[in-house]
Amino acid sequence: MKKTISALFGVILLAGCTNLDEQIYSKIAKENFFTTEEQFVQYSARAYSSLQDWGTEKSLWTFVIQNTNEVCTPVNPNGKWWDDGRYNEVHVHSISSSNVLLEQAWNYCFNGISACNDVLDVFGDVDRDFPAKDRVIAEVKVLRAYYYLCATDNWGSIPFSINKKDKNLPEKKDRTFIYAFIEKEILDNIDYLQTDPTPEYYGRITRGAANAILAKLYLNAEKWIGTAKWKEAEDACSEIITSGKYRLAEKYKDNFVVNNENSPEQIFAIPYSTVYTVSDHNAFIIYMSTLPADLCKPFGINAQAWDGLCGEPDFLASYDPSDTRKKDTWLYGQMYDKDGNPIEYSEGVPYIIDPDMPESVYGKDARRTALQGARIGKWTYQSDGRLTGGQVGMDNDFFLIRYADVVLMYVEALVRQNKASDAANVADFKAIRQRAGLAPMTAAELTLDNLYWERAHELAIEGWSRQDMIRFDKFLDAWWAKPAKDASDLVLPIPKKAKASNPNL
Amino acid sequence: MKRFIITIIALLSVLSLSAQNRTIKGKVVDEKGDPLPGATLVGGGSYAITDIDGLFTLTAKNGENVTVSYLSYEDYEFTISADVANMTISMVPAEATMLNEVVAIGYGRTTKKEITGSVTSLKADDLDLGSFTNAGGMLQGKVAGLTVVNPDGGDPNASYQFLLRGTNTLAAGQGPLVIIDGVIDADLRNINFQEVESMDVLKDGSAAAIYGTRGTNGVIIITTKRAKSGSMSVQYDGQVSVQTVQSRAIPMSAEEFDYTITHFAPGKSGSLYGSDTDWFDEITRTPISHKHSVAVSGGTESFSHRTVLNVEKNQGLQIGNEASKYLIKTNIKQTALQGWLNLDYNLSYVKRQSSPANYGAFRQAFLRNPTEPVYNPSDLTNGGYFTLTESDYYNPVAMIKERYSNNETSYVLANVRATLNILPIEGLKWDNFINYSDEKYFSQEYKTSYYPGSVGRKGVAYSSANAYDNLQWESTLQYSRNFGGHSIQGILGYTWQEQMNWSTNMENYGFDSDFYKANNIGIGTALKEGLADMNTNRSSSRYIAFFGRMLWNYQEKYLASISLRRDGSSRFGKDHKWGWFPAVSVGWRMSQEPWLKGLSWLSDLKLRAGYGVTGNQDFSNYKSLMLMSTSTCFYYNGQWINSYAPASNSNPNLGWERKSEFNVGADFSFFGGRLGGNIDYYYRLTTDLLYEYEVNVPPYDYKTYFTNLGSISNTGIELTLYATPVKTRDLVWNTSLVAAHNENKLIKFTNDEFKLKSYEIGWIATPVGVYVQRLIEGESLGSFYAPIYDGVNADGTDRLKNEFMGVVPPAKWSRIGSAYPDLTLGWSNSLKYKDWTLSATLRASIGGKVFNSYRANFENVQSIGLQNILASWLDNTNYTGEIRYSSKYIEDASYLKLDNISISYDLPIHNMFVRGAKVFISGQNLLCITGYKGVDPEVSLTGLTPGIESTSYYPRTTTFSLGATVNF
Repeated sequence: MKKTISALFGVILLAGCTNLDEQIYSKIAKENFFTTEEQFVQYSARAYSSLQDWGTEKSLWTFVIQNTNEVCTPVNPNGKWWDDGRYNEVHVHSISSSNVLLEQAWNYCFNGISACNDVLDVFGDVDRDFPAKDRVIAEVKVLRAYYYLCATDNWGSIPFSINKKDKNLPEKKDRTFIYAFIEKEILDNIDYLQTDPTPEYYGRITRGAANAILAKLYLNAEKWIGTAKWKEAEDACSEIITSGKYRLAEKYKDNFVVNNENSPEQIFAIPYSTVYTVSDHNAFIIYMSTLPADLCKPFGINAQAWDGLCGEPDFLASYDPSDTRKKDTWLYGQMYDKDGNPIEYSEGVPYIIDPDMPESVYGKDARRTALQGARIGKWTYQSDGRLTGGQVGMDNDFFLIRYADVVLMYVEALVRQNKASDAANVADFKAIRQRAGLAPMTAAELTLDNLYWERAHELAIEGWSRQDMIRFDKFLDAWWAKPAKDASDLVLPIPKKAKASNPNL
Repeated sequence: MKRFIITIIALLSVLSLSAQNRTIKGKVVDEKGDPLPGATLVGGGSYAITDIDGLFTLTAKNGENVTVSYLSYEDYEFTISADVANMTISMVPAEATMLNEVVAIGYGRTTKKEITGSVTSLKADDLDLGSFTNAGGMLQGKVAGLTVVNPDGGDPNASYQFLLRGTNTLAAGQGPLVIIDGVIDADLRNINFQEVESMDVLKDGSAAAIYGTRGTNGVIIITTKRAKSGSMSVQYDGQVSVQTVQSRAIPMSAEEFDYTITHFAPGKSGSLYGSDTDWFDEITRTPISHKHSVAVSGGTESFSHRTVLNVEKNQGLQIGNEASKYLIKTNIKQTALQGWLNLDYNLSYVKRQSSPANYGAFRQAFLRNPTEPVYNPSDLTNGGYFTLTESDYYNPVAMIKERYSNNETSYVLANVRATLNILPIEGLKWDNFINYSDEKYFSQEYKTSYYPGSVGRKGVAYSSANAYDNLQWESTLQYSRNFGGHSIQGILGYTWQEQMNWSTNMENYGFDSDFYKANNIGIGTALKEGLADMNTNRSSSRYIAFFGRMLWNYQEKYLASISLRRDGSSRFGKDHKWGWFPAVSVGWRMSQEPWLKGLSWLSDLKLRAGYGVTGNQDFSNYKSLMLMSTSTCFYYNGQWINSYAPASNSNPNLGWERKSEFNVGADFSFFGGRLGGNIDYYYRLTTDLLYEYEVNVPPYDYKTYFTNLGSISNTGIELTLYATPVKTRDLVWNTSLVAAHNENKLIKFTNDEFKLKSYEIGWIATPVGVYVQRLIEGESLGSFYAPIYDGVNADGTDRLKNEFMGVVPPAKWSRIGSAYPDLTLGWSNSLKYKDWTLSATLRASIGGKVFNSYRANFENVQSIGLQNILASWLDNTNYTGEIRYSSKYIEDASYLKLDNISISYDLPIHNMFVRGAKVFISGQNLLCITGYKGVDPEVSLTGLTPGIESTSYYPRTTTFSLGATVNF
C-alpha cells in the first residue's frame, strides 16, 4: 500500500504537478485534424450536408410549398396542426417575425453560407495542397452562391458575409449587390468544376449545376434587380442542353422513386438515406408530415404519421384531366395498399380521399375530415417497413434541380424574348408534355399563363414555386383561403431572432 | 443477517462478562455541587443510575469507558482504572460549551466562538427525524439563506436542488460543493442520511474562498459518524414509511367531462366514449418503504473502527417505480509510531438499484379523456389497450405496463488520510489524503412492441453504461500554537484532482419477441439494417490548487483569518487556466472586553466582517477548444462518409466567473445561551458571467457562443435565532428560527459585441406558445412578463389591458414580478418531556411568483375533446375563450408548509444488552397553506427560468414513518 502511495506521489509530482492540458478522447483537436486529403474532403462535406436540412419537417422547402398555392395545412380531425398558427400564417401570408418555420427557412440559407465560409477559411489557412483542392474550393463557392440565391429570393436585402475571419456583424446588402456577387462567383469558378456528371460527382456542384443556378439567377433578374436577363438565361440553359450530359427520364416517376439516383435527369441532388440521414436536421420525412396514421400500415410504413400537409384544392383542380402528373404527385381518390388492394377506411367504407375542401375547413376552430384533402405522394413511399417514424428519413433523393426544369426555363427564356415558335419546337419540351400524357404546346398556346401552369404541374412541390409565382405575377393574387396582398408581400420578414443577434438588420 | 448480528452481540457480551469486574461508588453533582438524581452511567457492559442524592454504584471492569449523561449537561467520560474508587463527578451545563462546538471550515476546524466567516453548523440533533431520499433533504428550512427544493415530489429517485444566497450565475452550475469526509465533489446519494454527524454550510466568500473555483455556490461539509474508541457498540436503526398524495392537478372526472362536452362543446361529442376511468388511479398505488441500518463500532485509542450496513427498499407512488440501496461503509482509525502517525481509512461500497418513474405517464394520465376505457381487447395491434393514434397522446397504463426500466449504480470508495505529527515541534503536522472513488452506472430500458408511440418498431431496447472515476490527492502542512494570549492556526496545502468519465449507449429495435427485453440487444433487426444507435464517449478534467490560510486570535477577543488560493482548472482557455482567490475576515468578540464582561446576561457578542473571492467552473469539459466532431453523413463518390465540423463555436479566451463577496455579521448569545443567534448582511457580485450568447451565423459557425460577460449581484440579510424558552427538569422547549431575504440583480450582460439588452426565455409550448420570462439588464433574474389580465368579456374571452386589434404586443407587456421569494423562513421546535420528544418544523416562503402551467394549458374549455382539462374550469364557466397568456397565470407563490412533525420516545430499557432504545413516528410534508391555485407553489428555483411549474412532474406526497433505534 505504502509503496503504491509513494509511487503515486512520484508520478503526480513528476507528470502532473501543474499540468492542466485537457486530454481529449472522443473528438479531434483542430490542429491534429487536417493531415490527409480525405480529411479535407470530409471537412468540405459540411458545406454540402447543410443541404440535408431541406427535407425536414420545418425547412425552407416545407416553408415554400405552404407559402404558395401548392400545399395547405388545415387543422386535422384530431385538432392537431394549429400549433400557434404557424402554418396558417405562412399560408395566408401574414407571417410574424417569430414564426418558427420562417426562422428555420432563414437558418437553411445562413447555416449553409456559414458552413461554406468556414470551409473556405480552413482551406485558405492550410497551405497543404492536394490534387482536387481547386475544384473543391470552386464547388464550395458556387454552393455558397446557391445559398445566397435562396436567401435573396426570399428576403431581398440580406446580411452579407464571405470571410470567416471578419468577426464584425454582417451588413445588410440589397439585391443588386447580392445578384452581382452570385453572378461573379459562379462565372469565376465555373471553369474549375467537373463537367461530366459521373456518379462520383452525384450530389455535388458540377458545371451543369452551376449553369442551372446561373439560369435561375438570370431568369429572376427582372424581378430582383429590375433588368431583364432573358438572353443570359437562355444561354445558361442552352449550355446544359447542348452538353448532352443530361436527358429526360423515361417516366416522370423515375425522378421520385426510392432509388432515383440513377435518373439521367438529375443535375443537382440532395442524397438521402434511411440509414445515414436520420436526425431532426437532416432527414427527408415528408411521409410523416402528410400521411394519416391509418394509411401507414397498409403502405408498409411502421410509423404513426402526423396527418398534416394537404394538397391545396384549387391546385389539384388546375390539372388537365389527362395530365398523369396529378396522380404521380398527389394521393387522392381510392387508396390502395402496397400490394394494390383497395383500403377500407372503416368497415364497409372505402378509403376515398376527396381532394376538394371548402375554405370553411380552414382556420383555428375549423377542422377538415379524415377523408378530405389530397396528400403528397410525389416521392414513392418505400414499403419495406424501414420507415419507422420520428427522424427516420426516406431513401428517395431530392432533386433540387433536374433537367426538365432547365428545359422549361429555356422555353420560358425564349418565350419572354418573343421566340414562342422556337420554344414550341424544343424537342425536350415536347417530350415533357408527352411524358405527362399531354399534347405538345403550339406556339399560340405558349402564353405566359400556360407556361406558368406547365411549370407548376411539372415541378409541383419541388421548392421553386415561390419565385415562379412571383415571376409570373401570380404571387399577390388571392387563392384558396389566402387573400390578395400588396407588393410588400414579395419579400419575407427577417426573423426576430436574426434581428436580435445582429442590429445591422 | 440479523441472526448473525445477534450472535455476534451475544458473543461479545459473554466476552465482556468474563473480564474481571469491580465495584465503584460515587456521586454526580451539578456545577454548584448540588446532587443530580437520575443521571445515567453507561459503560461497555455496565449501567447505573443515580439516586435522589446523586449517588451511584457501578460494577465494571478496568479499562472500560463510562459515559455519564444528564439532560442539558455535557456528557462526561472516564475510564475505569485501579485508582478510580470513590469519585465525585461535576457535570458542566451544555450551553456553556456550545460556543466551543467544533465547526468544519474546510481543511481544518475551529470553534463557534472563534469563527469569523458566515458558517452554519448543524449537528445530528438539529436534524429532523423521518424518511429522506438523501441527506440533502435534512437541510430544508434549517439554514438561513439556503433554499432546498425537491421539485420531483414523491419520486424515490429524486434529488434535492440547492440555492444559496440567490442565483449567482447564468449558465454554470448552481449546486453547492459537497464535501463528505474530505472527499470533494461527493454524491449525497452515496451515504446513509442517518449516518450524518454534522453538516457545516460555508456561506460567505471569506469562508468558501479556500475552495476557490468551486466555492461560489457555497460549500456543504458533511461529516459522518466516525470510529470511536471504547467497547464495542452496535446500533440498529430501522423505519417503515408510507406515502399518500398530498397534492396533484385534478382533471375532470368522466361525469364532469361528459357534462362539459354536452353543455359547452356539443360539437365534440364524438370524444365521448362512455367509460369512466380514473387514469391517475390506474397508474398509482400506496407506496411502502423500509430502511434498516446496523452500525458496529469500537476499539482502542490506537485502533478503532466503525462499520455500517444499510439496506433500503423504497417504493414510489407510480406503479413499478422503485429505488433500493445497499451500503457498507467502514472507517478505521489507527495510531502508530508512538503517536507520530495517525491513519484514517475509509472504505465503502454502495449499490443503488432503481426503476425510474415514467414522468410522461403522469402527464398523460392527467390529460387523457376519462370517458375512454383502459383496454380494448379487440385492438391486437396495440396490445389490447384502448388507443387513439395521435402525437403526444398515449395510454398511460400502457406506458407503465409496456416498459421495463432498471438502473443500477455501484460505487466504490477507498481513501486514506495519513497524518504525520512532527512531535518535536508541538502543533506541527503533515497531512496527506488520497481518495479514489469509482461510480459505475448501468441502465437498461425496454419498450415492448405495444408501447404507445413505438408500436410497429417491434420492441425498442436501450442499454447504457457510465463510469465516473475520481482521484484526489491533498497534502497539507498544518501548524497551530498558543503563546502569550495569541492563538494561531496555519495551513499550507496542495491539491490535485482528476475526474474521468466514460459512457456507452446502445439502442436497437425490431425484436422477434418481447421476452428478451434489453437482455439480448444485438438480435434486433434495426442493427442489421443500420438503424440501431451506438455511441461511446470519454472525457476528463483536472484541478490543481495551492492554498494557504492563517487563523489568528488574541485572547479569543480579536480574531482574524486570511487565506489565498491559486486555483487551476483544465476547463478554461489556454491562457486563463489559473486564478487567484483571496479572502480575509476579522472578528471582534466584544463580550470578552472588560467593559462588557460584567454583564451577566450577555454570554457572547461577536462582530464579524469578511471579504472573499470565489469562482465557478461547473460546466462541461472542452468548451475552450476548437474540436472537430463528426457531423452528418455525406454521399461522396458512391458511398456515405462522415463529414466533419467544428464541435461548437470555440472560445479560447474562456475564463473564470469571479464572485467577490462582502459579508458583515454578528453572533450573540444571552442568558447562558438560552437565547441567541446571528445576523448577516452580504453583497455578492459575480463578474465575467458565463452565458451562451446568441450570435449571428455567419460569422460564427453556430447560433450560440459561450463566453464571459456581464455581472450579477445578490444582496441579502439573514437572521438565525435560537432560544430555550422553557427549561425545567422534565420539560425543555428548544426553538430556532431562520429567515433570509435576498435581492438579485442582473447588472449587465452586454458589451460592444453583444448588444442585446433583453433576452426572452422560459418558452411555454403550444397552446400557450410564449416566452414568459425575460433577462433584462437592471432587473432580477426570473422576471415574469405578461399582458395584464382584465376580466372576461361578454363573449367568454379573456380581456387584456392595452389591447390593440386583439393583441398586446410583447413590447407592451408588464413586469409581473420575480420568481424569487422576498422572504424565506424556517422554524424548528423540539419539546422534550421526560423521555418524550415532540418536534415540528415549519417552513414559509413569502412573495415570489410562479407560473401556473396546469391552468394555462388545461383550464380552458376550448381544448377539451381529445384531451381532458382541469376540473377547476367548472368554477368559472363564463370563461369560454381560447387561452390568452396573461398575468392571470402568474400567481403569488407564498406558502406555509408543515414539513415535519415527529414524536420520539426513549424507552426506559437499560440493561447489560440494551443500552438504550428509541422509537419515533413522523409525518413529513403534512400541510401546505397557500393561495396558489396550482399543484404546489414550491417549484424549482434554480436555473435561468425559475418558478415555472412543470406539467409532467411527480405528485407531492405526505410521508408517515415509524422508526426505531436500538443501541446494544
